[in-house]
Amino acid sequence: MRGRFAGLLPWSLFFAVFGLVPLLAALVLSFYSMNPLRPDLTHWVGGANYARALGSPAFWHALRTTAFFVVGTLPATLVLAYVVAALLSRLRRGEAFFRAAIFFPATLSMVVISLVFKSLYAEQGLLNGWLKGLGFPAVHWLQDPRLALPSIMAMDVWASVGYYAILILAGRKTLPVEQLEAARLEGMRALAIERRIILPHVKPVILFVVLLNTVRSFQIFIEVFVLTRGGPLESTLTLVYHLYERAFYHFEMGYACALAYLLLLLVGVILLLQRRLIARAPVEVPAEMPLAPAVPRGTGRGAA
Amino acid sequence: MGSRGHPVVALWVALALAVAMTGCGRRDRGTTTVVFWQFSPLPAIQPVLDKFHHEHPGIRVEVEQLTWQSGREKIVAAVAAGRPPDLCEIGSTFLPGLVADSTLIDLTDSIADLKPELRGWRVTEYLGRSYAIPWMLGTRAMYMNADLMRGVGLPPENPPTTWTDFARAVEQIDAAGPDLKGFGMNAGEREVLFKKFMPFAWGNGGDILDSTLTHSVVYSPQNVEALRFYLSLKPFSLLDRQEMLDEAFTRGRIGFTISGPWMLRKLPESAPQLHFVVILMPRPGKDRGTPASFAGAEALGIFRGAKEKSAALTLARFLVREENAMPLYIATGNAFPAAAAAVEDTYFVSHPRDKVFVQQLQTAVAPPVHPRWVEIEEILNSELEEAIYGKKPADEALRSADQRIGALLQTGR
Repeated sequence: MRGRFAGLLPWSLFFAVFGLVPLLAALVLSFYSMNPLRPDLTHWVGGANYARALGSPAFWHALRTTAFFVVGTLPATLVLAYVVAALLSRLRRGEAFFRAAIFFPATLSMVVISLVFKSLYAEQGLLNGWLKGLGFPAVHWLQDPRLALPSIMAMDVWASVGYYAILILAGRKTLPVEQLEAARLEGMRALAIERRIILPHVKPVILFVVLLNTVRSFQIFIEVFVLTRGGPLESTLTLVYHLYERAFYHFEMGYACALAYLLLLLVGVILLLQRRLIARAPVEVPAEMPLAPAVPRGTGRGAA
Repeated sequence: MGSRGHPVVALWVALALAVAMTGCGRRDRGTTTVVFWQFSPLPAIQPVLDKFHHEHPGIRVEVEQLTWQSGREKIVAAVAAGRPPDLCEIGSTFLPGLVADSTLIDLTDSIADLKPELRGWRVTEYLGRSYAIPWMLGTRAMYMNADLMRGVGLPPENPPTTWTDFARAVEQIDAAGPDLKGFGMNAGEREVLFKKFMPFAWGNGGDILDSTLTHSVVYSPQNVEALRFYLSLKPFSLLDRQEMLDEAFTRGRIGFTISGPWMLRKLPESAPQLHFVVILMPRPGKDRGTPASFAGAEALGIFRGAKEKSAALTLARFLVREENAMPLYIATGNAFPAAAAAVEDTYFVSHPRDKVFVQQLQTAVAPPVHPRWVEIEEILNSELEEAIYGKKPADEALRSADQRIGALLQTGR
């Protein structure tokens, strides 16, 4: 028994040192005024950092921007991922290739993706080249305050769709093929099968995707850091980027920690709501989903 | 668990020892190790350090390259952890915060003899005390596309020297073709805006703070006039980030752009057909103002928590010498030696474009070293961004900046 726990020891220690300790330290720090350059002047301020954040227009602006990003990317990512998964499941040939191709962006670092999109969005970039070819004027994707955030959102959707599509595809593969055949024999059309059989079956996966994407979207930072640094006119100032600026440019580490915990609280509430939704879902999440997507054909599964 | 526990225990003991030993080894027998963090590529700095090792066999330099993207965070984290490097290259925009927080040691009395030998002390001094040693100085000058000038009938041999001539050339080049723009104006990156606007204001006699550093002078007739002139260039300009402006200039799409010496190395390689000239910034009038520019500096500072302060100072004094700083400029082409003697270096005789930057440095102005500079800079940049995006007219943006900076200065620290 002790041997089994010994196996967990390295991971536990790693988690404690690099996960739990910083998490708790940040919580403690959020009640202090702390300048990392002068740690000797650190002093207790109680809930002042939280009060300051809640009274700060910059915090609410960053929260609105972040919420806009989440609300804007989530449905688009979900719908596209579902459609891609449906198309992939219908492929008779080359499914492995297309599955790998669609998953490819998920294997890239977000920094790399952002740099690629930076040149795509450039004034002389590929996108404007196409627009000019069609007779349209060039668009200032990242310089126009109205377009900068939607441009980042579009990039984020592109980068995420493949990963979530594979998760949904894995969910579809768990649907017994007999169920589908029975539906077809009963004369159900493809759209009705999709709506009445497949969709309810993959609902837990969809909820899982929603949850994962929500958490990830609230943490958006790298894209903003590489592409716009919160501009222009603060149109892409997200909560985590605001937090980063307070910590590393203004050296207000205590305040930045308070912002981080407000974000954690917000995401936590949303996570709880989504867990309730998942619990209400009629179908249990299959044990092998999403990490074991492909069950060999001919075993009565994997036909959706 | 029995005997199976031993390898696990051994592994953790080994790890603990390894972690503990990382703090050792700073002082071998008879040799002092100086940890030096800097931004130049290692192949560029290493020959200089080899020379130092030869001259100072008792000091070994452990050099590490910081990146412009994350160097600041790394320095902050190291200071916060109580393990700063012994000697560190610090950019002039980061320096005021460190000085204000008393993070750097006061070097005034140890480096008095260096005063006449180096330029750029303004960026390292606060209330008359020096908290770092200027090492390399940076500035920006005007790049001009000679072919585009010729194309609109303006001789590049007589580049514009005044605002009026400059604006006329910008307008004419912009009108020369649908894909051409007269000027590259920074937008979409708030953090650099004041560096591009203030040269016009400084050249016009304007400034940010008064000489006592206690009052804002942002809302002055000189600054308003300069911002109005700067914004008058907007209809004929390409608005983009610096790297995109540099690229557009490389492709021959813009007539003028303000950029640093790094373009001098890049342009002949990436655009061998491009004929360009580097000129001084335009001044308000023939007999009025100066061709001012932004002056930045890379200074060498020693943190309060540094272990080997004396050896670090020895290294700093060595690095700032003209004969040691000049090879670094030749290797990197980013910033010029602060050593006054470097102006006379024969390198500049054979590299006239580089020499323009050296001349530009004579009239370049550094932002004030003020404890609240980060906030002052942020206010300036945000108001300038509003003006560039047409949200506020020039005088309203500067009045607002003035009020906000004034309020900030009154709140103290």
